[in-house]
Amino acid sequence: MDVHMLHFYPDLMNLYGSYANISVLKRCLEVLGCTVTVSTVKPGEDVHLQNADFLYMGAGTERSAAYAAGDMQRYREELSAAANDGTVMLFAGTAMELLGQSVTDAGGHTFPGAGLAGFTSVQDKKRRVGDVYGHTDLYPEAVVGFMNKCAVIKNVETPLLAKLDMGWGNEAQNSPEGFHWKNVFASELTGPLLVKNPKLLETVAAAVYARRGLPLPVDHPSGGWSEKAYTVTEEQLRLRVQRR
Amino acid sequence: MLLAILLCKLGRAVGKLVGKGSSLPGKLALKVCPDILRRVKLPPHIIAVTGSNGKTSTVEMIAAILRADGKQVVYNAEGSNQIEGVATMVLTHASLGGRVRADVLLIESDERYAAHTFRFFHPTLFVITNLYRDQLTRNGHPEWVYDSILPSLHPETVLLLNADDPLSSCFARGRQNVKWFGLDRCSVSSDAPSGVYHDGAFCPVCRAPMEYDYAHYNQIGAFRCTNPECGHQKHSTDYTVTAVDLENRLVTIGHDTEVKLAFGSIYNIYNILSAYAACRECGVGSQTAAGVLSNYLLKNGRMQTFRLGQRHGTLLTSKHENSIAYDTNIRYIAASGKDCVVLLIVDAVSRKYFTSETSWLWDIDFDRLQVPHVKKIILSGRYCCDLAERFSFTALENWEVQPDIAAAAESLKNGGEDVFVLTCFSDRDKILCHVEKEG
Repeated sequence: MDVHMLHFYPDLMNLYGSYANISVLKRCLEVLGCTVTVSTVKPGEDVHLQNADFLYMGAGTERSAAYAAGDMQRYREELSAAANDGTVMLFAGTAMELLGQSVTDAGGHTFPGAGLAGFTSVQDKKRRVGDVYGHTDLYPEAVVGFMNKCAVIKNVETPLLAKLDMGWGNEAQNSPEGFHWKNVFASELTGPLLVKNPKLLETVAAAVYARRGLPLPVDHPSGGWSEKAYTVTEEQLRLRVQRR
Repeated sequence: MLLAILLCKLGRAVGKLVGKGSSLPGKLALKVCPDILRRVKLPPHIIAVTGSNGKTSTVEMIAAILRADGKQVVYNAEGSNQIEGVATMVLTHASLGGRVRADVLLIESDERYAAHTFRFFHPTLFVITNLYRDQLTRNGHPEWVYDSILPSLHPETVLLLNADDPLSSCFARGRQNVKWFGLDRCSVSSDAPSGVYHDGAFCPVCRAPMEYDYAHYNQIGAFRCTNPECGHQKHSTDYTVTAVDLENRLVTIGHDTEVKLAFGSIYNIYNILSAYAACRECGVGSQTAAGVLSNYLLKNGRMQTFRLGQRHGTLLTSKHENSIAYDTNIRYIAASGKDCVVLLIVDAVSRKYFTSETSWLWDIDFDRLQVPHVKKIILSGRYCCDLAERFSFTALENWEVQPDIAAAAESLKNGGEDVFVLTCFSDRDKILCHVEKEG
């Protein structure tokens, strides 16, 4: 299977090792036998989204994200059409904020998002940081990660993580986190969340296959080192939750 | 004021006896007299140093030069770099009448708390070494740190800025009283920035693409915004390294001031240059400064040598959560040229707080270890599998995993090549307890 990925603004939106999400998904699909091409999209470039199997944008500073949001306006309608059509997308870190109706920065200036979802983001001068231990309805294993953001995201109707036992969610500590609708995945979890969560990687890979009407190959290889790393982090964070 | 000074001096004396930290006496004094730092009579020179990397080394070298020049220097060598630690330092050295007995007050300032530290007084000279990715768990990101430092910069303070750093250069916007340091194109320059990420790709002012005439590491170099209406670019420098001879460990500052390097790394050259520039701004002669800096061995213990079985070892203390600190030491190993084994340990991400955050591993340019003399790399500690996953995305193949640090040390006892240990303050004692220290 040929898989075509679009990586939006890889230099502008690449804090916290965000690039690793697309690296690990590419490798995962290649191990399954896919031929994967990744095209990068720079600000100001015109690309067509309809032929892409996967769209990705990582985390950036608030100022970089605002700049990216301005550039994203050109894709507003095409992005909604692609999401409705089941195109798989991951918006990680501050990129998640850009999917909503609007983002208000710490100075009170509001700019429009891509309008794919109904939520709004309001940034302030407080940094919300800390480890996250939560649960998604997509699979039974816990989701682990780290939050580092300055925004409150309101009115997310379909979060990716339905429940947090520890850490910052969309609106507050322990509130639901992220956004998931059709094949659109979004989370403000820091950096390489698909590396830290092999099951989430498998879920996203399965979505790429499902969009082509195919099941994920049953005998796909395990995550190897990332599975072992997940076991350590999951245990550390679970113990932390239990001690509280 | 008198009570606050007395309390602080007493608290410091007791603290020294019982081996307690240096923040508490200052905290007590600030409770008794919140604006005590405005009331005391401070020395004529107040130098503050902040930035992501190089603060401690730069401050240590500045102090050494100033003392060699006969100046009495008070500085926070213990690294208590928030307002409470600064209050302890100032009041401990003050007379009961409130006069600080020194020619120079030298402060290593935490970049996030500088605005708080300098609420009641301001530095005469503020050295900002650089701003880049560092401890994102605490600091957010470099622009967030920039926004934290900005309010601490008093209009009367002279800024000493790194002309090669696109972000910290922005502190000069709208100011006249700025001095600059930087490196000309020299033997260590490359044509374009390198590294896993490219924070110099876009202008921090207008987000237009940037170009580089040359680069020294990561986004540090001769940058130039391509937007003609913006014009953000490397500023001309007042203090300049004009030539670098790494083979003979020699740098030239200006036309003819030569400094011998004890540690031949590009990062050390920037630290040396900023220390030189700061001291020149305080009236120290170039030969005095260069004389002290030549072969200057830092006392901060970040580099230690040891023996492990038959092997000669070097501990290169990096900071977890700081990819550039790791890149610094990886470049050092890559340039060492001698057959070696590298032991990488990530066991506790921080010594101050708990976290399982390992995204910073993805910002480190481990591929630079792809050199013939690095024979083997051992990944160890609790987060060794996170390291292994990261390594599985490099071109390196000569790595293996040993979760147990003691077992890793034991396995290294056999064999003759040198060993380099790369780890953080939080983890270094876990290997040092298995080796025989030298010197």
